[in-house]
Amino acid sequence: MADVLFTNVRIFDGGGEIPFQGEVLVQGNRISRVLKTGYGARSAPLAGAQVIDGAGAFLMPGMVESHTHFSWNDQPSLESIQRMPPEEHILWCAQVARRYLDMGWTSCVGAATAKPRLDVVIRNAINDGTIIGPRYLAASQEITVPGGLGDTTAPHLPQPEFAFGAVVSGAEEMRRCVRMFCKYGVDSLKINLSGESITGMPSEMSQFTEEEIRTCVEEAKAWGKRVAAHARSTWSIKQCVKLGIEVIYHASFADEEALDLLEANKFNHFVAPGLAWLINTCHHASDWGLTPEVTRKMGYHRELEAAIESMRAMRRRGIRILPGGDYGFAWTPHGTNAKDLEYFVKYIGMSTMEALLSATAWGGPMMKVGKELGYIREGCLADILLIDGDPLADITVLQDRARILAVMKDGHFHRAPPVRQARSTRWAA
Amino acid sequence: MTAMRETLFNNVRILDGSGQQPYSGSVRVRGNRIVQVNRSGGSASAGDALVVDAGGATLMPGMTEAHTHFSWNDAATLAGIQTMPLEEHVLWSAKVAHNYLKAGFTSCLGAACAKPRLDVVIRNAIQSGQIPGPRYLAASQEITVPGGLGDEMLPHLPFPEFSFGVVVNGAEDLRRVTRTFLKYGVDSIKLNLSGDNFVPGADAKTTWMTDAEVAACAEEVRMRGKRIIVHARSCASVKQALRHGIRLIYHASFTDTEALDMLEAARDEVFVAPGIGILYALLHEAEPWGVTHAQAVTMGYEEEWAAACESLKAMHRRGVRVLPGGDYGFAFNPHLKNARDLELFVKYLGFTPMEAIRSCTLHGGEVMMQQHQLGLIKEGYLADLLLLDGDPLASLSILRDPKRILAVMKDGVFAKEPPIGRTHAWEMAA
Repeated sequence: MADVLFTNVRIFDGGGEIPFQGEVLVQGNRISRVLKTGYGARSAPLAGAQVIDGAGAFLMPGMVESHTHFSWNDQPSLESIQRMPPEEHILWCAQVARRYLDMGWTSCVGAATAKPRLDVVIRNAINDGTIIGPRYLAASQEITVPGGLGDTTAPHLPQPEFAFGAVVSGAEEMRRCVRMFCKYGVDSLKINLSGESITGMPSEMSQFTEEEIRTCVEEAKAWGKRVAAHARSTWSIKQCVKLGIEVIYHASFADEEALDLLEANKFNHFVAPGLAWLINTCHHASDWGLTPEVTRKMGYHRELEAAIESMRAMRRRGIRILPGGDYGFAWTPHGTNAKDLEYFVKYIGMSTMEALLSATAWGGPMMKVGKELGYIREGCLADILLIDGDPLADITVLQDRARILAVMKDGHFHRAPPVRQARSTRWAA
Repeated sequence: MTAMRETLFNNVRILDGSGQQPYSGSVRVRGNRIVQVNRSGGSASAGDALVVDAGGATLMPGMTEAHTHFSWNDAATLAGIQTMPLEEHVLWSAKVAHNYLKAGFTSCLGAACAKPRLDVVIRNAIQSGQIPGPRYLAASQEITVPGGLGDEMLPHLPFPEFSFGVVVNGAEDLRRVTRTFLKYGVDSIKLNLSGDNFVPGADAKTTWMTDAEVAACAEEVRMRGKRIIVHARSCASVKQALRHGIRLIYHASFTDTEALDMLEAARDEVFVAPGIGILYALLHEAEPWGVTHAQAVTMGYEEEWAAACESLKAMHRRGVRVLPGGDYGFAFNPHLKNARDLELFVKYLGFTPMEAIRSCTLHGGEVMMQQHQLGLIKEGYLADLLLLDGDPLASLSILRDPKRILAVMKDGVFAKEPPIGRTHAWEMAA
């Protein structure tokens, strides 16, 4: 693998400082040198490195998506996820994984998979080079109760294959289910603690007994796995803190007590609100029959307001809020995930700097690699984006594939920067 | 409407696949078709085309593999194919499909897949552009009888998922299985008519299916306009296939005068793809995987090799089309060595190098059921092309050397791009 030297770039190093002019040298899969050149420092001559003249482009760490569902298939309903046969489904996941990397997400945290092994297989295939995709943590299916979010079986079609979730009832069924996913090799267990209004059980309702949840956490810890929860309701957020569920998805209805609990334990938890789902279901799903009148009746507008309030309060209290928003539905298609950063600025009141840090500095610990990821610093893993424009001035440039000039993961260009072409002749031999 | 993409290959030595000697010239591709073939020493005018100055490299039609198993996973045993779970198996097949294309096989004819829908799904994904791969005809699993090749169930584990073949018994069972695969959308139904020396108790000279079973399958397949392909090593199975009007015969190792006469009588319609590669590999190259030469001889491979060489030489003499494609996908006969079949044809079956080339170009288009538009470098034909560093007529082995395959084009699009002559290593972003 040839070394790569980025010259003439504006470096956003992930530490929250103002970007500086400089050079970045990548050797193997690591960043080996970061040099400020704005003060007249000259770069040392290098033999054998591929030199990328960035022409002033913005160089930043690859982004981390905290709530990824490769197996959601851009369809308008939960039921249609399960209509896809497993063979097509795994190819779909491979295609989507690549799309995330294309769009600058060099790491993704699986938030649930639609069939038992999809996530694990995709993670392994990325790691062994069979397919191309981001660094990935593989999730289980959503573990839920009969009638809860994820139980898409019909009364006359009760076969479990119809559900994208794994439906359990009782602590011992929970234990068996967790053990099965651990056997398959997941990195995290996903448990649905609250309802989801579109399924009929409102988001403010909670499901599972504390005993069932405790069994899930206990068994996951015994295997050294992480637990992540779908937790929209107040009770479910508190359960996460009480029982030590590290990743809290949504957290829309956080009351004062919940906020206090979260603040007191703020470095034990990550919150990924998934605002994209709420915003787009409320305002951009009419083409699929979900007009604002319909979604208002479902309760999504009230939830969106509550979620914005909760996130503003969490931001003030310094709780880690990460992007990743249930992309993979018809009105939140895969690849548009960087909208989350725009939403953070627009709805939660983050600065563009805070929004960028939520996708980089928080990303390393979210990926369980601490500070090895998410920074442009010597010794860090070389996950690097080259951006045409300044995301600190306009956060939406990260949504535009054409503005993402290059994507490097683990020292390899997934998308190399464009070569200026004088003519279109190719010379063979 | 935007102008169609054009590519102009200048300064190429054209080996057109028909059997005529190569000549210098240029070839223009527009969209997915070859639109102009110039026979001259000069360069054609480029216009807006991407120009490939080939510096005298050989341009030939993309090759066709007539007996492909994307889902064989380079394991050493038949049981080893089935221990791969479904999800991994799909990704494996996708990877292999891409590798075949990059290796110069722009068309492949599925000869059986290991789980019911693998071939169909891969074909569809290639066609929709989701994954890169050759033109592909999707096969069923191997349909076999209890104890035959493909039945990998153990007596105490009688679960069908353990078998890469589908085990049937009786004409009506075969009819139901055939209909199920046709429902899934296969192009071909694969029947295992004979045994195989790899299977204890069902050697290559044995014949397993009843005429009633074969007839039931043939009736269903014909009704829906699809094709039957058969594993037929024994003499009786070759004759059985021909009796039932089956036109693509794999192996055909053992023949007698009657079988050869029947083949010759049907030579305008029938294809034989012997899969010679795996016989050679088992005899000479399988020792690291536990099959010594002595064992291979005991298993019957020496006898079969000798019989197959005699049979295939006779077929070739009588004008029967014998095609490459050799059961690649085992540890001892791994994927991507496939072009070696052409060398074996020359060395052991009495082919000239030109005849070997034609067996994977002109005849390849025919076996893909696209004669008159696939398999030749000719105006109006589909643009499936290989650019080679060297002359395959002088050395067929360059066809299995990735470094000598400079470029692969399928349907007018480069699957492997010709290298760019670089003057320096600087890249400019933005």
